[in-house]
Amino acid sequence: MTPISRLPLTPPLPPTAAAQPAADAAGGQPFKNILLEALNQVNTMQSQANEAVQQLVTGGDVNPAEVLTTLQKADISFRMMLQIRNKLVQAYQEVNNIRI
Amino acid sequence: MIPALDISTSALVAQRLRLDTVSSNLANMTSLERDERGNMQPYQARYVVFQTDEATETKQGAVGVKVASVQNEQVEPLYRWQPAHPYAIKEGPKKGYVAYPRINMTAEMVDALVATRAYEANIGAMELSKNMAQQSLRILG
Repeated sequence: MTPISRLPLTPPLPPTAAAQPAADAAGGQPFKNILLEALNQVNTMQSQANEAVQQLVTGGDVNPAEVLTTLQKADISFRMMLQIRNKLVQAYQEVNNIRI
Repeated sequence: MIPALDISTSALVAQRLRLDTVSSNLANMTSLERDERGNMQPYQARYVVFQTDEATETKQGAVGVKVASVQNEQVEPLYRWQPAHPYAIKEGPKKGYVAYPRINMTAEMVDALVATRAYEANIGAMELSKNMAQQSLRILG
């Protein structure tokens, strides 16, 4: 029986997260750490977007175009992470359904 | 996808600044400003100089844009005969004249139009990048 290989994470993640997992996958970092790092980065983008929106609505010195772009980037990375989560859950359920 | 969004955003910011300078020129069509020696000079029309922005450069060489500087035009002012004006020229061949800025309103409006259309074009590019990102999520189903 061939061992189950790690799911490829590099294409769907935002580019900032892509370099790190690719380098560490060869080094054998636990899968959990890769996932947590990616989640942290998505969380950072979300909080950046939050901050930017807050500055915009309170009349701060921030360009509306940049705020909207930050929001859009956070949205894209969140959706990608959501799809990855769906895929992982699907894989886990398939593994669960293996009859012994 | 993310660098493409950054590049388009830099263009939006730059075009917005260009529109700001056009507004400034139109608002100050007949105003004077104080130069560094403290004399009142006619307002000189401002224009922006765009430059490629290495901070947003991708590996393949796509770059964004930034405003390198805001320059003043150097044109001959418009002279009006107003000897009672407090800022009339006191001596010389132009004695009794007041120097006003020479701002070409038509050129400024066309510039504003170009800036608006460029803004719209960049928003269009951003929509395309966004669509592409959302379509690529279909890989995962």
